[in-house]
Amino acid sequence: MILVFAERSDDELFRQALAFAHGLRDDVRAVGIDDSGGYSPDGCGAALARLVSEREPRAVLAPGTDRGNEVLAHVAAMLDLPMAANCTSATLGEPLTLTRVRWGGSLLEEARLHGSPALLTVAPHAVTAVDESADVELVPAATDARVRVSERVETVTAGVSLADADVVVSGGRGVGSAEGFAVIEELAELLGAAVGCSRAVTSAGWRPHTDQVGQTGTKISPSLYIACGISGATQHMAGCKGAKKLMAINPDNEASIFASADYAVIGDLHEVVPAISAEIRKTRGAG
Amino acid sequence: MLFATRARLLIRLVQGAAPTQRSGDVPRRVRNETEIVLGQRKLLQRLGPGLMHAFIFWGFLVLVPTILIAMIGIVDKHATLPWLGHQGWYALLVDIFCVLVLGGVLAALWIRKVQRPQRFEGSHLGEADLILALIATIVISLLLWHATRIALHLNEWPASWSPVSNALSHLFADDQTTRVLERVFVWIHVLTILTFLAYLPRSKHLHIFVAAVNVWFGRTRARGRLEPLKFDDPDVPEEDLRFGAGTAPDLTWKQVLDTFSCTECGRCQDACPAFATGKILSPKLVIMGLRDLVMAQDTETALVPTAVPADMVWDCVTCGACVQACPVSIEHVDHIVDLRRHLVMVDSSFPSESEQMLRDVERASNPWGKAQSERADWAAELGIKVLEPGDPAPEYLYWVGCASSFDERARKTAAATAKLLRNAGVDFAILGPRESCTGDPARRIGNEYVFQAFAEQNVETLNDAGITKVVTGCPHCFNTLANEYPDFGGDYEVVHHSELLSSLVRDGRIKPTKAQSDTHITYHDSCYLARHNDVVEAPRELVSAVGQPVEMKRSRKETFCCGAGGAHMWMEERGRAINEERVREAAATGAGTLAVACPFCTVMLDDGVQSAGADLRVVDVATLLSESIDGG
Amino acid sequence: MNVLVCVKRVPLTGGKIVLTDDERAISTRHLGFTVSPHEECGAEEAVRLIEQHGGSSTVLTLGPPEAEEQLRDMMALGIDRAVHLVTDGSNEWDPQATATAIVEAIEAQPDPPDLILFGNESADAGNYQVAIRVAHKLGLPVVTGVKGITIENDLSVRLEQEVPGGRDVYVVPMPAVVTVKEGLNLPRYPSVPGRLRAKRKPLETSTPDRPQPKLEMVKLTLPPGSGKQTEVLGNGAEAAPAVVDVLSELGLV
Repeated sequence: MILVFAERSDDELFRQALAFAHGLRDDVRAVGIDDSGGYSPDGCGAALARLVSEREPRAVLAPGTDRGNEVLAHVAAMLDLPMAANCTSATLGEPLTLTRVRWGGSLLEEARLHGSPALLTVAPHAVTAVDESADVELVPAATDARVRVSERVETVTAGVSLADADVVVSGGRGVGSAEGFAVIEELAELLGAAVGCSRAVTSAGWRPHTDQVGQTGTKISPSLYIACGISGATQHMAGCKGAKKLMAINPDNEASIFASADYAVIGDLHEVVPAISAEIRKTRGAG
Repeated sequence: MLFATRARLLIRLVQGAAPTQRSGDVPRRVRNETEIVLGQRKLLQRLGPGLMHAFIFWGFLVLVPTILIAMIGIVDKHATLPWLGHQGWYALLVDIFCVLVLGGVLAALWIRKVQRPQRFEGSHLGEADLILALIATIVISLLLWHATRIALHLNEWPASWSPVSNALSHLFADDQTTRVLERVFVWIHVLTILTFLAYLPRSKHLHIFVAAVNVWFGRTRARGRLEPLKFDDPDVPEEDLRFGAGTAPDLTWKQVLDTFSCTECGRCQDACPAFATGKILSPKLVIMGLRDLVMAQDTETALVPTAVPADMVWDCVTCGACVQACPVSIEHVDHIVDLRRHLVMVDSSFPSESEQMLRDVERASNPWGKAQSERADWAAELGIKVLEPGDPAPEYLYWVGCASSFDERARKTAAATAKLLRNAGVDFAILGPRESCTGDPARRIGNEYVFQAFAEQNVETLNDAGITKVVTGCPHCFNTLANEYPDFGGDYEVVHHSELLSSLVRDGRIKPTKAQSDTHITYHDSCYLARHNDVVEAPRELVSAVGQPVEMKRSRKETFCCGAGGAHMWMEERGRAINEERVREAAATGAGTLAVACPFCTVMLDDGVQSAGADLRVVDVATLLSESIDGG
Repeated sequence: MNVLVCVKRVPLTGGKIVLTDDERAISTRHLGFTVSPHEECGAEEAVRLIEQHGGSSTVLTLGPPEAEEQLRDMMALGIDRAVHLVTDGSNEWDPQATATAIVEAIEAQPDPPDLILFGNESADAGNYQVAIRVAHKLGLPVVTGVKGITIENDLSVRLEQEVPGGRDVYVVPMPAVVTVKEGLNLPRYPSVPGRLRAKRKPLETSTPDRPQPKLEMVKLTLPPGSGKQTEVLGNGAEAAPAVVDVLSELGLV
């Protein structure tokens, strides 16, 4: 039996975890922890650990979200079992063999897990999600949690939130300055898109870290990602792998981003992006 | 007396300053003194004001003995300097130069009051007026004294030899009034001189003593070389290490001397591309600001921002136009870089947009932050030898540089150069991923520590590979490899790619066959190539070989910067764009092609063409040459 | 107070990753190295906390001899001392082995730390679990993904964790383990006097034994190419109409 921890911060990723679980060819049970008293990572971990001792599953899965990784790591620590985070595939066996993600997705690792039950989190967008969610059995959280959320501070985002946006327009080193982002913001507004940036931009202080797309920034999965003046370093690509379509605008035709791009424009973003904005206005005006 | 106290203070300030190495190379120094001081060569770069000053200066030299004569004359009205006081030819010289000096003073007044050139913005004009008045008084009183002596028949020299004094003497009769006037004039003359002497070291006229000394100690080694700092001196405890200039005591004695030599003439300000494009940087104001703090004997206040605002420090593109223009051999770039060094290395205070470049240079070994493993990708299909450890040394090591390895526009130059050299049968190789940044951007922004790490690493790589000759297409790499690496054990014969290519063309090993003599090409001199390193003709030979050259007004050593130097390639620019200014100048020649010999100039000027909307093709001379060859 | 921060030496990979011939490691020839980004923010935070509250800081790493470079870099930011658990560099240490070695080193420290900082996940292996394992072994509370740390008083610390839509706040008694994410702060650029001092700051080394890995890497592979055919829409501003055509197809215009 495969236990899947129903970490619901991202519903699609939970359903991907279910799909992964089904791929292991065993019964799948989805289990959620009642955190109405406030989320506690170790509380969830303890509750799951108890379930593991009671039900002896062959494997415990969780979506590879922040919470999923965190809770399963607690389970692993409490039971002193190995855990493999962000797996793209696995095959049950003695030992279990798996493939997992390194470098935010730019590298894969094939590994063996020597422990039972196997603890795995599922890499986002490695498998297609199941259409329907499963029934989730709710178990109470452990009462002796050491760490619990005491309050939630809402942040007000002007415009579309980066993580949820369907279209994202990003600028990189090529933008040249904080003011240079005006053309990016203009295009984003026309498309109802969120504005993102690369790590070089946040290091230079041109935009806040919350705008950063990348391995150590926000990981996005829009329908369309337009990357302007971004060369395509692996740490950046790790943040936008989830994009369905990638359009890259860069003056360097050898830039590594073009290897992952669906559409390419060779040119300086300071000329190309305003031209695109103008063309959009023209088309909308005429239509 | 007053003079002596002040002089003692000034000497003490110079002696107490930080050490620097400025000895040796005596023949060159003698030549500099002769040309620059005696010959007034730098001042004569501007003919009008140059002559004005030359007359006053040469006049001063000629008239020095008259000071002694006047002082002797005060004591004993019948005495004079032995021999010289009797020479007719000397009296003639004196008369002529008195007139020339007066002429100079009048010209100076006209320049300052009527013409009012912009370079005096920020200078202390009142002080200058006082000095001119004092000079005029000295000279007029001298003529009048001579005139009265002639009238009293007291002249020791034949009166006919001094026409002006002689003519003036007719205003005076041989009587008691004249006897009194004779004493009056000599006293006025001597007292004015003494006042002048006391005032002198408290004003910018101090330069008359200090400038000649400053010129003597001017740099004789390559202009583009910056002086290294020592971080691991066994004799110096770490707390006393010098990390550039943070407070006045950090300035070296040459820098202190520089500040004393400044006459506030503003020629440096006129030449500065930053000032010309609306930024606040004026090399003149930098030196004046430092001078004020030094003379105030302030040892505590931070030089930036009190003496020099931070923006001035960062606006500099290290083009050296100021140093070239300065008639008294002030080396403004050294001051600015030393100020940067302290800001960067001790305060960690520098334009935030440059931080990424500094981190990239150090961690990724190039300012583009790209992986070194990809450095030779541009050469992949060209069949160029990449030198591995243990390989025999080629005749030439082609040092490509970071820009030509990673920037898409500059890469074309590398490809063209490599193909030309390969087809001409030159024995060369590149280092590929083992070539790291020379460290120039780090050094120019002020991080001497990171620069030295790269210098040592590259020198080790080059020496281990047995390299003796290096050819490079980048003037910044050229400058660092040729002029700065010898301080770290690297002595190579370094040539610029235009020099090697033009010699190959002369030898017939490269034959431009598709030269189009009707294409008008204007060549932009790179500051680091032309001004810092005197390479001026070789690129022009290449341009003439492929097209019709047309020169811009600011060319050769008077070239106007493209704006990338001093690590500005990685800084945001305030005010108007330097590159657009230069592009407009190029476009005004009517040429359709703007030829360059530097990857930074390539990028900056091409950017300038886009933003200024000019109709110019920016292209490196190597690419032009390559295009003019069958099968190139 | 006493803060200990754990860091890892990782290569700077650039635009593409190249593997060694045996496919068990990244080829690091010609690559630069750095401290993993989340961790560098942790080290900066440690320095700031000590600047604010007084005390001392320690940086620790489990890594090959070359990792001393990263320890000196972190000491150049202002960290007082370093602990180097030296590995041979040819074999990887899995998360459980790493945690065990770190715990042993921490327990051997003369002054127990009030705060132990880790990066949320390392840039290379990204296992997300070493900090949590260390916390359990030491019997300490642990909060992950933190982007704001405020010491409330001698006894507790307020931690802000970034979640979709906002931040979750935890108030936790010290000693505690915290994993941080980049964005917590902007690490300072070290001064040269700082770097020179760092060369002489105390560095304690030991060579722990590596146990058999329970999460055992067999080999590394590059992800399959997307097989994408990049459609070049044009050069410069002239490509704008073609771009807008694509946008229209995608229903955005």
